[in-house]
Amino acid sequence: MTEPSGGSDKAKRPVAVPVIGLVALTAIGITVLLGGLDERPDSPPPQLKPGDSLDQGQFETQFVESKLTVERAKSPFTDDKRFVDVVFKVTNKTDETISVGSLPYDKSRGYSFGGSLLKMDPPIKSKYGPRMFVDSKGVESVQLHPAVPATVIARFELEGAARPPEQVTFDVGVYEKAENPLTGESLWLLPTEGGFLGKAETKEVAAKVTLPVKPEGA
Amino acid sequence: MTATDRRPAAPRRVRRQPPRRRAGRAVLGVLTGLVLAAGAVAVQSLELTQEGKDAPLTFLGAKGEAVDAGRFSVRVLKVSSAKAVKGQGGDVPAEQLFLVVEAEATVSKEPVHLAPPTLLTADGKKFVATDKVDKSLTLANPWIQPGWWSRGKFVFEVPSSALPGAQAVFQLPVSGLYSEPLPPEAQIDLGIDEAAGKQLASTPADVVDLAEEK
Repeated sequence: MTEPSGGSDKAKRPVAVPVIGLVALTAIGITVLLGGLDERPDSPPPQLKPGDSLDQGQFETQFVESKLTVERAKSPFTDDKRFVDVVFKVTNKTDETISVGSLPYDKSRGYSFGGSLLKMDPPIKSKYGPRMFVDSKGVESVQLHPAVPATVIARFELEGAARPPEQVTFDVGVYEKAENPLTGESLWLLPTEGGFLGKAETKEVAAKVTLPVKPEGA
Repeated sequence: MTATDRRPAAPRRVRRQPPRRRAGRAVLGVLTGLVLAAGAVAVQSLELTQEGKDAPLTFLGAKGEAVDAGRFSVRVLKVSSAKAVKGQGGDVPAEQLFLVVEAEATVSKEPVHLAPPTLLTADGKKFVATDKVDKSLTLANPWIQPGWWSRGKFVFEVPSSALPGAQAVFQLPVSGLYSEPLPPEAQIDLGIDEAAGKQLASTPADVVDLAEEK
């Protein structure tokens, strides 16, 4: 029992292991009590107003306005059609002509510029879903030419006597260029979060834009 | 006695030489291996990128020439600019400037359709022919048949700054599911220099009728 120097090494080990164990346990316990190692929720995305612009990676977008549009009946046998039109000024920042895309609706996830308008609140449901097109002096197109600003309209039909909402809010995503390191091919993608450990995969919301729906002719 | 003395010496010499040769061979082998490995890596770097592999076979030419792209031939006849084009449903005004390319095409064997072409600008931007004009009014509509040249127009909508040095790229339409490897394309210089670009930008025709011949 009286081994001054040789025995000290052997005596330390059995103490060190339980001490480390206890410290670790306490640390884990405190972490669990404080809510685990889950990520702190991100700060809420910035709120945009009519007239604000957002750099969406593939596009530079200005959120112009939202208004009620009425298409007068062309014959006495048809009814007037009412739409909520959301107007954007979109500039294609890539080097080639791309389609303006479509809005996510029902099971379709949308694509291109339309696909970046992730969610609408309140949603406007209609039989055929919303349309998206480029309006150029009254002529419709679906093309966004490189570096040319275009007026893009998302058109939601109000069916029957449905009332237009006071305002509409969109969750907006930002495209990121993803490159395949093996082939060198690149793609524009909307970044997602979740999708593992039982969490549903959702597209990241970069900004929220709220546009009051102006009455017709205003 | 002398014989017995020499005997042990002779095998030593024989034994000494082979290790040198072996060492020399080993060094040579390692060097050869390194050279071969370096060569293999160098050859790998010559491999086409995925973009290169997917790219079409491009046949170059200039305005006025018949450019043979193998499956089809195209000749650009005339380039003009317009503020509006006349389609089926009336005049279509341009937001920027319409560049009207008059071309003719033929094939050697099988009839084909041409896809709406792309305008490749000097700074590398690609403008697809405008969809404001119905495709049925352009050269993308008729079958291109062997034996004669089919003539028609294509309409691009571009900013006037994109005109100098622009080239038109004609391709075959891509089918939905299966894209063929190495599709042909004809890339034709429209012969627009700075002066011609300014001329086109400053004096566009009011209306170009797409149905009208010539």
